[in-house]
Amino acid sequence: MAASVRCVRTAICSLRAFGNQNERFLSTSLPRLASGGDGDQPPKFTPPTKPVIIDKTQTDATLRRFLSPEFIPPRQRTNPQKFRLERKDMIQRRKVLNIPEFYVGSILAVTMSDPNDSGKSNRFVGICIQRSGKGLGATFVLRNIVEGQGVEIRYEMYSPRIQQFEVLKLEKRLDDNLMYLRDALPEYSTVDFNMKPMTPSLSGEVPVNTLKVRMKPKPWSKRWERPNFNIQGIRFDLCLSPEKMEEAKKWEKPWLEYDMLKEYDTTQLEKNIWQEVQQEMSK
Amino acid sequence: MAAWSCRFLRLGDPLLRGAHFIASRTAPATDRYLVSFQFVRTIKSSTWWDEHLSEENSAFLRKVVPEEYDRMTASKLNPLKDEPWPRHAWEPGSRRVGLVALKLGMMPMWTKTGERQAVTMLQVQDCHVIKYLSKEEYDGHTAALIVGAKNVSPFHVSEASMDMFRNAGVPPKQKVTTFKVSDNAILKPGTPLYAAHFRPGQYVDVTAKTIGKGFQGVMKRYGFKGGDPAKVFKGKKMPGQMGNVYDTAHGLKVWRVNTKYNIIYVKGSVPGHRSCLVKVRDSILPSRLEHIQNPPFPTYFTDGDEELPEDLYDEAIFQFGEPSVTLA
Repeated sequence: MAASVRCVRTAICSLRAFGNQNERFLSTSLPRLASGGDGDQPPKFTPPTKPVIIDKTQTDATLRRFLSPEFIPPRQRTNPQKFRLERKDMIQRRKVLNIPEFYVGSILAVTMSDPNDSGKSNRFVGICIQRSGKGLGATFVLRNIVEGQGVEIRYEMYSPRIQQFEVLKLEKRLDDNLMYLRDALPEYSTVDFNMKPMTPSLSGEVPVNTLKVRMKPKPWSKRWERPNFNIQGIRFDLCLSPEKMEEAKKWEKPWLEYDMLKEYDTTQLEKNIWQEVQQEMSK
Repeated sequence: MAAWSCRFLRLGDPLLRGAHFIASRTAPATDRYLVSFQFVRTIKSSTWWDEHLSEENSAFLRKVVPEEYDRMTASKLNPLKDEPWPRHAWEPGSRRVGLVALKLGMMPMWTKTGERQAVTMLQVQDCHVIKYLSKEEYDGHTAALIVGAKNVSPFHVSEASMDMFRNAGVPPKQKVTTFKVSDNAILKPGTPLYAAHFRPGQYVDVTAKTIGKGFQGVMKRYGFKGGDPAKVFKGKKMPGQMGNVYDTAHGLKVWRVNTKYNIIYVKGSVPGHRSCLVKVRDSILPSRLEHIQNPPFPTYFTDGDEELPEDLYDEAIFQFGEPSVTLA
C-alpha cells in the first residue's frame, strides 16, 4: 500500500517538474526579459513563482481523522469543566506550535531551546517509544543510540521550550509501548540524525511496521514474555525456550477481558472533542 | 435527633391508636395484625424529603427551587447599587474576607524560563457573604464574616441555618465558613464573591479537610523507620487516625485567575480530594504580606468600574498563546 502511494507520488513530482519547464520556456521567460530589458541594465532575474499543487482527489472526507490521545480525559469522577479548560489551553498552544500526528514507533525530530546555552537550541532525533499523560501534562519518550550509548529523552508536549516538531517517518509498530527496545539489539533503536523527512500521506490508514526485534541475552529490565505486557514485536523464539514461554503463561489473566467495569468506550467522546478542536483551531 | 424522636412518636402513634381501638371495642385478631403492619411501614418511609408529597408536588418543587435560586442569585448581582455598606480604602494591616472554592484538580503550567509548575485549579461557585458578625457577637477581638458556597437542596438544611440564608437572601450553601476581617473590610450579607478577589502574584492560604487514611501505624503516619520506641515520653508519636482533619497549605502563589469561569490557579498542591470545598484567604505569612498591596478592597465587584480580561496572568508565567521561549 505504502509503496504504491510512494510510486504515484514520485510520478506526480516528475510530471510537475516537466510542466514547470515547459511553462518557463514558453511563456514566463519572454515577457520577463522584455519588461526588465529596457535601458542598459541587464534584466534582473526574478524566480518564477512556486506552483501550488492542489490535489483535487483528496477531499475532506477521505482525509484521516486524527485526535491526539491526550485530548481524551481519563476515566474518573472529576468535573468535566476541568478538562474543557485544559483543552482550551492546549488548543491555544497548538495554534502557535504545530504538533503533528505521530504514534509510538514513528521517528521524530524535536528542537528544544537549551537552558544552559543562551539563545541556542538542541535538535534530537529518535524513535518514539512511549506516549503518556493526559491533558497539558502529556509527554513522549524519544530513543536513539548516540556513539554506542542509548539515549532517551522525555519531552513535555506543551512545554514552551519546544521550538519545533518534525515527523521524519510516520508509522505504527505492533505494540503501543516500545520500552523493550532498551533490551533489544541496538540496531533497532539507532536512527540517523541527518535522516530526510518522508512526506506522510494524509489519507488512508497509517502504515504498520510489522518488524519483530531480536533481543539481547537475558537479564532484561522487565520480563517482556509475561502476558501483562502482551508484546507482539519480539522474536521470543530466538531467545526463550518453549518451556520458558509455557512458564510465563502462568501469569495470564484471561478473565480480565470480560470485566465490564474496565471498559472505557471513548468513541463518542472522541467524536465530540474532535469537533470541538476543529472548530477552535479554525477560529 | 429530630428524626429519631419523630420516628419514635410515629412508632408510638399506631400503638396508641391500636390501644384505643382495643379499649373501645372488643379486640378481634385482624386489628392486631393491622397494627403490626402499620408499624413496619412507618419506619421505612421516614427517609425522603418528599415522603408525604404527591408525585406532581415533588416534581413541581424540583422545578421551582432552581428557578428560585436563579432569581435570588440574579437579584444579588449589583451589590454596589443595592444600598451598599460604606466602602473604605485599603491600608496596611487590613484583613480581607476569603472565598470558598471547589477543588477541580491539578495541571501543569510553565514559567517564561521554561520551568514546569504544578498548579491546582480552584473554582469559585455561587460564593456569597451570608452573615456579618460584629466584634461583640464574634469573640470580642475582631469582626467576622460568614461565607458559603455551592448551592444545595433546601430540604436537607436545618431550620436554624435556613433562617441565616433567608436573611441574607441567598440559596442555602453546602459549605459555610467564618473569616476574621478587619473593621474596614466588612461586606453586606448577600454580596457575591468572585475569583478576581485574588490577583496573580499574591499569596494565599488554603484550608481543607485532608483525605482520610484511617488508623495508620507510625511508619506511614510520621515516616518513622520502624522498630519499637525505647522510652515513651508524654506526647510520643503513636499510631492513630491519619488524615480527615483540617489542614492548611500556607503561602501558595496565585499564578493565574480566570474571570469568566472563576478559576484560581494556585501553585502546588492543596489539601483535600477532588471536588472538595476549600477555604482560600490572603496569606498570613509575614514574609508574603508585601505581595498583597492594594488588592481589590473590600472585594472585587462586577458592577464596579474595573474591566478585567478573561485571564489574568502573573508576569513570570508563560501564556499558551505566546510563541515558544528562547532562553537568553
